[in-house]
Amino acid sequence: MNSHNITHRQLFFLIVQTQIGVGVLSLPYSLFSKAKVDGWISLILAGILIQFSCLAIWKLCARFPQKTIFEILPKIMGKNLGMVFNIIYTLHFAAISILLLAMYNNIVGKWILFETPHWVIIFIMAFSGSYFITSTPRELARFYTLVTPLLLVLLGLILYAYTDVHFLYLLPVGQAGLSNILKSSSDAVVALLGFDVALVFLAYTSGSANKMLKAISFGSLCVTLVYLFIVVTTFIYFNPLEIIIIPEPVLYMLKAFSFSIIERTDLIFLSVWIISVATSFISYLFVVAKGVQTLFKLQNHQSAAPFIALFCGLIAIIPNEKLEIAAWNKYVSLTSLFFSGISPILFLLIAVIRKKNEKGTASS
Amino acid sequence: MTFFKKPKKLKQIIASVQKEDKTETYNEVGESQIEQKQTIEDIVAQIKEPFASTEDLITQWIELPSDDSRVALLYIESIIDRKLIQDQILNPLFELSNEIGMDSLRKMGKLDLTKHTDMTMAQSLLLQSHTLVFTEDTACFYSVSTPVDTKRDITEPDNETILRGAHDGFIENLSINLALIRKRLKTPKLKVKYYRVGKETHTTIAVVYVDNIANPDYVNEVENRIKSIEADGIYAPGNLEESIEDRPFSFFPQMVSTERPDRVAANLMEGRIALVYDTSPTAHIMPVNFFTFYQSVDDYNNRWIIGSFFRLIRLFSFFIAIGLPAVYIATVSFHFEVIPFGLILLIKSSLEDIPYPPLFEAMLMELTIELIREASIRLPTRIGSTIAIVGGLVIGDAVVKAGLVSNLMIIIVAVTAIAAYIVPSNEMSAAVRILRFPFMIAAATMGFVGIVFGFMILLFHLCRLYTFGAPYFAPIAPLSLKDLKDSIIRAPFWVMNRRPQDLDAQKRSLDNQVRKWEKKS
Repeated sequence: MNSHNITHRQLFFLIVQTQIGVGVLSLPYSLFSKAKVDGWISLILAGILIQFSCLAIWKLCARFPQKTIFEILPKIMGKNLGMVFNIIYTLHFAAISILLLAMYNNIVGKWILFETPHWVIIFIMAFSGSYFITSTPRELARFYTLVTPLLLVLLGLILYAYTDVHFLYLLPVGQAGLSNILKSSSDAVVALLGFDVALVFLAYTSGSANKMLKAISFGSLCVTLVYLFIVVTTFIYFNPLEIIIIPEPVLYMLKAFSFSIIERTDLIFLSVWIISVATSFISYLFVVAKGVQTLFKLQNHQSAAPFIALFCGLIAIIPNEKLEIAAWNKYVSLTSLFFSGISPILFLLIAVIRKKNEKGTASS
Repeated sequence: MTFFKKPKKLKQIIASVQKEDKTETYNEVGESQIEQKQTIEDIVAQIKEPFASTEDLITQWIELPSDDSRVALLYIESIIDRKLIQDQILNPLFELSNEIGMDSLRKMGKLDLTKHTDMTMAQSLLLQSHTLVFTEDTACFYSVSTPVDTKRDITEPDNETILRGAHDGFIENLSINLALIRKRLKTPKLKVKYYRVGKETHTTIAVVYVDNIANPDYVNEVENRIKSIEADGIYAPGNLEESIEDRPFSFFPQMVSTERPDRVAANLMEGRIALVYDTSPTAHIMPVNFFTFYQSVDDYNNRWIIGSFFRLIRLFSFFIAIGLPAVYIATVSFHFEVIPFGLILLIKSSLEDIPYPPLFEAMLMELTIELIREASIRLPTRIGSTIAIVGGLVIGDAVVKAGLVSNLMIIIVAVTAIAAYIVPSNEMSAAVRILRFPFMIAAATMGFVGIVFGFMILLFHLCRLYTFGAPYFAPIAPLSLKDLKDSIIRAPFWVMNRRPQDLDAQKRSLDNQVRKWEKKS
C-alpha cells in the first residue's frame, strides 16, 4: 500500500475544508450587491455549475490514474504547450493562495488584531502553511478530518440567528432579473472554489472511481448547502437596506448576539474561521508546491515549500487598501472561473478527441 | 540456571559482542593445544587477565582427597552467593569424588554443572554470576549459576498508584518482572526475546509480545532498532528510549513507561510490544498512541459510565492545562470585549493595580509552581509537605496581598497545575506542562489568533507523528469511529470486540462473549 494515499472519505473532507474558506464571511454581501435578495438563486446555479466541473475533473483524472494535473497537461497537449499550461496553472493556484492570504489579513486586521502589523498576520499564516505542506496528503487529510467538527460550531453559532428572522425579506423571488442573477453566480463560483484542488489530490486517492466522484461531488454539494444556509440566514436576518452597507454580514450578525458567558460571539466565530481559511490556504499551497516541483523537476515538493510561502506572503502584503483587494478579487474570480470551472471540461474534451489516456499504457 | 534455557539468540549476541577479543583468545588456546601441556594455572591466569586483577575476582584452589588432582573455582565475589557454592559445588564434590571424575559427577545429576569447551565464554559467564570450575583436564571447564539474591520485595509503584486492582509492581530483576507478566498471561504464545545492549554494560532487555496478536512488522521494527544500537553503555531505560524513538525532537513521549505488570499485560493483549529491563523496574510499551497515555488501570475497575466520565475529564484537562493560561492572557490583553459585562468589573478591579503585563504575571506564577514541584519531588515526604505549605499557601497568599499577582491569575494557575497532573502518565504530564509556555507566548503576541495557530500546529504535529510506524493520534487521525470506545470513553467490556485498528494486530477480533447468559433466560 502506498503510504501517501488517502481514502475517498478523506478526499471528501479535503474538498469540504478547502472549499469553505474566506468566502463564508463576504459571500452574502457580494451576492447581494448584484442580485439583491435573489442571491441565493445565483448560489444554487453556481452549485450546479461546479457539479459539472467536478464531473469533468473526475473524468479527466480517471483517464490518468495517479497523475496530477501537472503531469496530465503535457500528456494531452504535447510537451511544450503542456509546460506553458503548467506555468499558467501554478501561477493561477498561487494567485488564489495570495488572494486568500490578503483577504484573511484584511478580515483579521479589521476585526481581531487592529494594531498588529500586516506582515506579521500574513507571515504567521504563510509559514504555518509551509510547515503543513512538508507532509504528505495523507496527514493533511487526517488533519482536515480532525478539524471538520469545528464547522458545526460555526453553523451552531449562526443557527442562533433564527431567534430573530423575517422570512418575508426574501420575497418577491426573482426581483433582480435573470441577467443579474446569472452575473452574480460568477461571484458565487469564486466562493465555492476549492473543488479544483481535486485536480491534484485525486492522484493520491485510492479506491474505486465511483467513490471518488461521490466524494468530490458530495463534498461540493455539502459546501453549497452550507453556504446556502449562511446566505439565506443573513438575508432573512438583515433588512435588505442594511446588507448593502455591511461587507461582512455574518460577523455583524454574530456581533449582535451575546450570551451570559461570552459577550462577543464574532470573535469566537473568527477564531474557528481562521482554521477554515488555513485549511483552504494549505491545500492551495500544496497544489502550488506540486506545480513548482513539476516545473523545476525537484525531487520532492517539500524543498520548495518555504520559498513558495515567502513568495505568496510577500505579494500578499502589497495591497493595503480594501479596494485593491476587491480589484484583485475581481481578476482572480475571472481567471478561476475559466481555469477551475471551465477548462477542466475543455481539457477533458481535448483528451477525448485526441484519445489520450493512461489506462492502455498502465496495463502493459 | 535459567540462563541456559534462554534461546540461542542471546548466545549469538554475546558471541558477536565479544568478536573483537575472540580472535586473540583463540590464538592463545590454539598455541596451548600444540604444546599439549598447559597447566591449570595457565588457564586460570588467562581467564583472570582481562579482569585487570580486580580484587573481587576470587580463585579458590581445592585439592580433591581422592587423587591429588586440583580443582580451581573462579567467581566474582560480589555477585555470587557463597552458600550456593557450598551447597552446589563443594559439598557434592567432597561427598562423591572418590575416584569419580567431573564428567561422571555431572551425569549422576548431583551437580548442576554445564560443560564448556569454548574458553571465550568464561568471561561473560563470570560476569553473569556464574562460578567456573576448572579441572586438570584443561580442554574444558564447568560452570554453575550462583547468583546472589538481592531482590527487593514486590511493592506497589509509588508513582502509579491506583484505587482498585492489583498492587504489585516491577522490581529491578528481569526474571521476576517477566514472571509477573507470565502470571497474568498464561498463554504459550507469549514470546520473550532477550537482547544484550551496551558493549561494556551488557544490559539485558527482554522484548515481550504475544505471538499471534502483535503485528510482526512492528515487532521487526522494534527488534531492528534495538539490534542497531552500538553503544558503550545503556544505563537506564531512558537511554534506550532515546535510542529507538521516532522523533527525538517532539515534546510528546513516544512510548508508555510503566511499572505496573497489569498495564503491560493488558497492552500486550491489545497487540503491543513491551520492553522489560534488567536492573530497572520500568517497562516500556510500544507502539502507542496519544490516548494510551490517558488510560488508567482504574478505568477498567470502575463502572463503565464512571470510567468514561473520568476519561473525558482527563482529555478535557489536556486542553485546560495547555490552553487556559493562554486564553486568559489573550482575553485580558487583547479581547476583553469577550468578557460579559457582569464579569468585566470583577476582572478589572482585580487587574487594575498589577504593575506588569499578564504574560509576565502568568510566567512568574507558572515558574513558581514548577519550582515548588521540582523542590518537593526529591525531598522526604515530611519535608515535602512543608514545602507544599510554604510554596502553595504562603507564596500564593503573600503574592496576592503584596499586589504582585492578581487573584484571578492565582486561580488560573492553580487550575492549570491541577489539570496538568490529572494525566495518569508522568511523561505526558511533563509534555503538557512544557507546552503551555509557547502557548502563553503565542497568546501574548497574537491573542486568539496566536492560540488558534498554536493549536493547529500542535494538532498537526500529532497527526504526522508515528511511533514505530503506527499513527500516534489514532483513532482520531486517522479517524476510526469503532476505536473511540476505548480511547475517548471507556465502553463496557462486552462491547469491546475488536482490537485497535492502528496496531493492525494479526488477530483483530476479540472474543468477548461475556454476557451469553442473558440470552438463555
